[in-house]
This record gives sequence, structure tokens and C-alpha cells, in this order.
Amino acid sequence: MRRMVIARLAWTVAILLGVSFVAFMLVRALPGDFVQTSAGAQNVASDVLEAARRELGLDRPLLEQYLIWLGNAVRGDFGYSFVTRQPVVGEILPRFVVTFQLTLIAGLIAMAMGVATGLASARLRGRADWIVRLYNGFILAVPNFVVATLIVLVVGLYFPQIAIFNYTPFFTDPLANIGGLLLPALSLALAVSVTISENTRAAVLEVSGQDFVMVARAKGLLPRTVLANYLMRNALTPIVTVTGLQVATLLGGSILVETIFAIPGMGQYLFDSITSRDYPVIQAIVLLASAVVVIVNMFVDIAYARIDARAQS
Amino acid sequence: MLKRTQTIATATDETADACALSRRSLLRLGLTGGAMLMGMPAFAAGDGKDGAPVAGGTLTIGADADPIGLDPTVVTAFSSADFIALIYSGLLRWNAKMEIEPDLAVSYEMPDEKTYIFKLRQGVKFHNGQDFTAEDVKYTFDRILDPATASHLRAQYSTVTAVTVVDPYTVKFELESADAAFLNYLATADDGAIVPKGVENLMTDPVGTGPFIFGSYQPNQQFTLNANPDYYEEGLPLLSTVVFRFYKDQSTLSSALRSKAIDMTWLKDPKVAALMSRTSPQLVSAPGQTSRTFPIWMNLKAAPFDDVRVRRALSLATDREACVQTVLSGSGKVGAMLPESHVGGYDGTGEMPYYKHDPEAAKKLLAEAGYPDGIDLGEYIVVAANALDVACAQILQQQWQAAGITVKLMPMETAPLLNHWSSGTWPTLLSVALSWTPDADAIFQYLVSDSKFGKAVGVSDDKLDAMIAEARSEVDTEKRAARNMEIQKHIAENAYILQVYQYPLRWEIWWDSIKGYEPLAANVRSFVRTAWRDE
Repeated sequence: MRRMVIARLAWTVAILLGVSFVAFMLVRALPGDFVQTSAGAQNVASDVLEAARRELGLDRPLLEQYLIWLGNAVRGDFGYSFVTRQPVVGEILPRFVVTFQLTLIAGLIAMAMGVATGLASARLRGRADWIVRLYNGFILAVPNFVVATLIVLVVGLYFPQIAIFNYTPFFTDPLANIGGLLLPALSLALAVSVTISENTRAAVLEVSGQDFVMVARAKGLLPRTVLANYLMRNALTPIVTVTGLQVATLLGGSILVETIFAIPGMGQYLFDSITSRDYPVIQAIVLLASAVVVIVNMFVDIAYARIDARAQS
Repeated sequence: MLKRTQTIATATDETADACALSRRSLLRLGLTGGAMLMGMPAFAAGDGKDGAPVAGGTLTIGADADPIGLDPTVVTAFSSADFIALIYSGLLRWNAKMEIEPDLAVSYEMPDEKTYIFKLRQGVKFHNGQDFTAEDVKYTFDRILDPATASHLRAQYSTVTAVTVVDPYTVKFELESADAAFLNYLATADDGAIVPKGVENLMTDPVGTGPFIFGSYQPNQQFTLNANPDYYEEGLPLLSTVVFRFYKDQSTLSSALRSKAIDMTWLKDPKVAALMSRTSPQLVSAPGQTSRTFPIWMNLKAAPFDDVRVRRALSLATDREACVQTVLSGSGKVGAMLPESHVGGYDGTGEMPYYKHDPEAAKKLLAEAGYPDGIDLGEYIVVAANALDVACAQILQQQWQAAGITVKLMPMETAPLLNHWSSGTWPTLLSVALSWTPDADAIFQYLVSDSKFGKAVGVSDDKLDAMIAEARSEVDTEKRAARNMEIQKHIAENAYILQVYQYPLRWEIWWDSIKGYEPLAANVRSFVRTAWRDE
């Protein structure tokens, strides 16, 4: 067990190192850089632009730039945002909290919807199963930004009394804050709920065919008790695992959903930073998001190993 | 109040005369003795109906872009100017009619065309308490001209050879040659802003002599300015605080204005501004003078645009007036190289070569150039993030189709588009709007043969280069206007660039509880210093 945890940790570090390198190079491979983008259409002389690049260290060879960044990052210094000239960490943290909140709400919605539809489809079978699976297939094929745009459109046209673009900070008004995040969270949750629904259905079907369920029924236990104590408890392990793995989908989706709903979270910030070519910010967000995904996966793996003896070997 | 208003009106008239008279003889820019107090020029227009101005209160402005640094000498970002304009002041400034008036200087003399001697205002203090003197002026310009500073302003002041302190309140500028752009640059917010000698870190801790003192800044959220109690204009500023709140997209910006979360903003789309002021009559929408043009940059370095007939055909196939009507709902004008806010700027109605919409003539020219069956010009690259640009490009695509010219629209992300544009690597057609610059010369520089953009476009015209150089050295405003008009005609004649329309940089809009404010074509909100809340 300990060896497995250590091996996992080593893998995590290696993966993050790889991610940071790829992200670093990819962002710089994009045409146009920060200096040029911030000058915009102004006629700024080339030597002035060069001087600005020198000041930001953008004139050095790429590998050298990366090693400098890595050296600082290891010591916890993720540099300064080109745009705001503030430390990147301080810029990202408040936004990370917003995204965390959004993905948490989206995760809860997805869980509730997914488990409910999956369970209904597995238990009721017949027409209910057919409808749920058709719905799942359809929603899975619709990207979250389409759902988000449709929500904005429908609410904007038919329910103008609902303010869609009014993000309120949690500490200003907690209720308004959560209320404002519901619609964005819904558009983020739909696709995830489908994955959870399908997995719940499969898990429940698999468990319900097992001998101990038959024994429980034969003992004359109430169907409610069988469902809660035998079926769900055993089906829950794969469901939780799948939900954990969907963190990546939620984080990725937040980029577009936050941009569409004007929520000042990490996703919107990433979008803005890519547009303005704010390299240190892009780098830090990509790294933070990958770290979240990798660490959640690591915990899922370890938890799985603890539960299931087969995975320990 | 009335008496004071009259004094000011006279002072402003004198200023106007002085500017019109720019000659080498001794000149006085208005202001001596009592009139030096200059107070509240915005009220000179006679805002008596608004009642007496009230001091105090907070003005909340919705902004769409964060400042990227606040040191006027070093910043290159367009978005910083709006903030710098309220914190710093320069020797001269623009009034609402885009004429130059004195600011930190009270007067100047020109012993000859190449020498300017400025008398400075006494008793002005920087926000850190330091006295403003000629030393600061010298320091500011020495710093700009020092190549080590890498200031983008160095190119604009390239004619300045020496700045000398004559006495603590007199400073002398010596120029290499007569330069009509010089005073315009001095009057512009970040270009002419005076920084205090010996103060570091202006990028994040700005210190100026302007009406407002830097308070605090939370990136992407809020930027706060407080009134400068020692500001030299008596009684100004009236507001005690100015808060900028940042909203990245136009829809949140306009809903913030509607819900009165902000008092004032500027919008990019004239249709939205018009709709808002129609539905809420208490919203004042004043676009101000046009200051921005929407051009099509052609790649002249290769076929087919190396042939002037193809370029002229494209110009003839373009119905500019239709673009003004459909894209801007009429709140703009047909454009040439210079917007109307410049010396000799085009007013949108005068004759320009190859401006008359004539698809048949375009077809004939194309046939002459060897394309009797029409021509496919390939990709037309536009800024995807700018809805107006994309809308206009779509209309142009249809108009050109009627003359047998086919293009494929290619909306592109801003960063790679700017990269294509400044390095001259776009295939055939590309549009980037040109914003207001302090002087007409800066706009012409985009087409000078050996300049960065001249090379990118592929213009090579010795005659044009000479015309542009001569216009910059013409200090007589009227003569310069005539020369600038000639240059624009020459550009249109050769169709080096296709200018479609001109429009205000942004459509400013504010609630009518804010009085004493006027929009300025110069891309800054200078008149926040005279604004006040009527509540």
C-alpha cells in the first residue's frame, strides 16, 4: 500500500512537470505575443517592443525561459501577471474560489440528476429506461457552451426579470451568489450528469443480479430496504469514482461557461489571459487545474485500492 | 459666477486666437494675472440651466479594460491613457473642441520655428508634495529621449534636440526642424504628461499633478482615484472620488449602466448606445467627434494588389455610405486617412478620388488589369472580437460580389491578427481599425515607405514620403490642413489603403445626474475633472 502511494505521488510530480513543459511551449507557439497585443493597433517602433520583451524576459531562448520559470516555481514563485504586474498566485486564488464554488454546485446537481435518472432507468426498466437513455444520448452530444448559450437566450428573451449576468460575491450576499450560479452550474452539470446516470444504471443492474440481493429479497426484506442497504451501498463505489473523474470535465467546461455567463472565475481568467497572451497566468492556471485533476485521480486510485483488495496488488 | 464665466470665455477665445496665430513672434497663450485661475472651462459653454455645481460625491465609471501600468513614459498599452489622463497633467491640454489650451504652462514664445520657451505655472504641487518646476519638465523629456528608457514616445519627440532649464519656471525646447506635431503631443494625456523628478515605480505608484490622486487598484475589479485637494484649478475637481469598475464584455457593461451600478461608460456599438438612450431618456449619449477610422489594408507587395487598377476597382466597388448607414446606423461618416478631429481631417462629404460607388467602372478596371471574369481575392482577415468590423466586412463582401470580386471572410483572434499586420504577412486583405493619435502625422506614418507599417503594407512612394514630411514641418495650421488634405487625396488616388468610414472611438453614455461632463475625441475622460453629481 505504501509503495503504491509513493509510486502514485512520483507519477503525479512527473505528470505535472510534463504538463508545465507542454503548456509553456504551446502558449509561446501561438502567434502574437503579449507585447504586441497590448500595443494593439498603435504604431509602436520595433525597438520599443523589443525593449518591452527584454524587460519581461521574452527575448531569451525558450528552454532558458522554461528553466527560469521552473526554478522559481519550485520555490513557490509563479511570477507576475504581465497585465496587472501583481503576483500570479494572488491573482488566481480569489478566482479559484469562485470556480471551486461553481464546480461544486455543478457537481452536486450532476450527482442528484445522474443518480436519480440512472436509478429510475435501472429499476423501472421498460419505457422509463428507454426515455432516459434517449435523453442521455442526446445531452451527451450537446456541448456545454451550446446549453449555456441557449439558457442565456431563453432566459434573456422570456424571463428578463432574471438577471443572468449579475455575479454577486459570496460575502456580499450569499443567497444571491448561489442563486446566480445555479443556471451556469446547470449548463455545466448536464453532460456530467449523463455520465453519472449511465454509470449508476450499469452499476445498479450489475449489483441487482448478484446472489446477496436475491438472498435479501428471499428473506422477505422490503424493496425499499433492499434498494437502500444492499443495492445502493454496493453500487455507490463505482458512482463516486466516476464522479471524481468528472472533475476534469467540470474544470474544462468552466472556461466556456464562465466566459458566457461573465463569472469572474478561473475559467474566464484563463480565457482573458489567452486573449492577452499573459503567459505567467496561463501557465499557472493550467498547472493548477491539472494538479487538481491529477490529485483527485490519485485519491480516487488510492481510495479504490483500500476498498477493493484486487487493486492493491 | 457669471462674471467669472465671462473672464474664462475671453481667455478661451484668446487661446483659440493664439493657436491660430502660431507664428515665430512672441506669443502668449491667453492667461495672465487673474485669468490664470482658468476655472471650469466646461461651464464656459453656459450650463446655467443645470444650477450651481455641487462639490463632493463619487462618480462610478464602467471600464472595459484594465490599465497596463501607469507610468506615462513607459506604458505602451492603449488602455492606460484613460487613467493617466486624470492623474497626470502636461504643459498643454485639449479643450472640448479639440483645440490646445494651457495647462501646466501659462504661456509660450517661439523666438523662431525651432525654439519653444514655456513659462510654467507657479505653486503647483505633485501628489507627493514635491513642487512642480522646470526641472521636472526637463527630467520628463530627458527620460523620454534616453534610448535606455525605451519609451514609445521617443519617436514622437524625435525632433527635440535639447530641453534646458532657463529658470525654475521657464523651460526651453530646441527642435532640429520645424515640427507642427510637437504641441499636439504635448497636449495629449500620456504623451505630454509631466512626471516628478527622482520618483521611482510610477508604473504601480503613479505621482502626477493632475486633478485626481491614485487611491487603490484591484485588478479586474476596481480602480479608485481621490480628489487632489491641492489641484491648481480653484474649486476643481468637484467630485471627491472616482471609481472605475471593470466589466470585460459589453453586455455586462450595459446592464451595469442600466441598473445604475455605474454612472457612466463608453460602448463599442452605436446601435446599443442608441437603443439605450431611446429607452431611458435620462441617459445622455454623446458620441463626440469622430476619431477612429475603419480601413482595409491591402498587401501591396504581391499580385494582384501591386496593380493600382485592382486597388482602384476595389475602391469603386465599395459603397461607403451604405456601410455607414447599415453598420453604424448613420452615426459615423465616410472616412479617409484622417478622421475629422485632426488638422485637415476629412469631413465625410468632400470629393475623394475613386470614392464614388460604381461597380461597372470597377469591372472595367479589373478587365483592363487582366481579370475580365472577376477576381478571387482570397481571405479577408478581420478582428473576430470586434462585432462592428465583422458586420462591415460582411457587407463589403456582398458589395464586392456585385463587381465580380470574391473574398472569403476570415475572422481571427486579435493577437495573431496583429502579428500578421505588423509583420506584413497577411495574404491579401486585412482590417484593423485605426484609433485617434495626438497628431495627424502619426496616422500618415503608417504609409511612409521606410516605416514599420509602410514596409508591412508595401508602400513605396517617394512623393508621398516628401508630402508627409513637409506637412509635419508646416506650423501654420491652415496651410497644414491644406497639405494634409492633399496627402489624403494622393493616398485615395493610388488606393494605398481603403478607408471605409470614420466614427467616434466609443459611444460615451452617462446618466443625466452627472453634469459638467463632455466627451473628448482624444480617447480620455479629461472632463471628469469638471463633472459633478446633481442629486
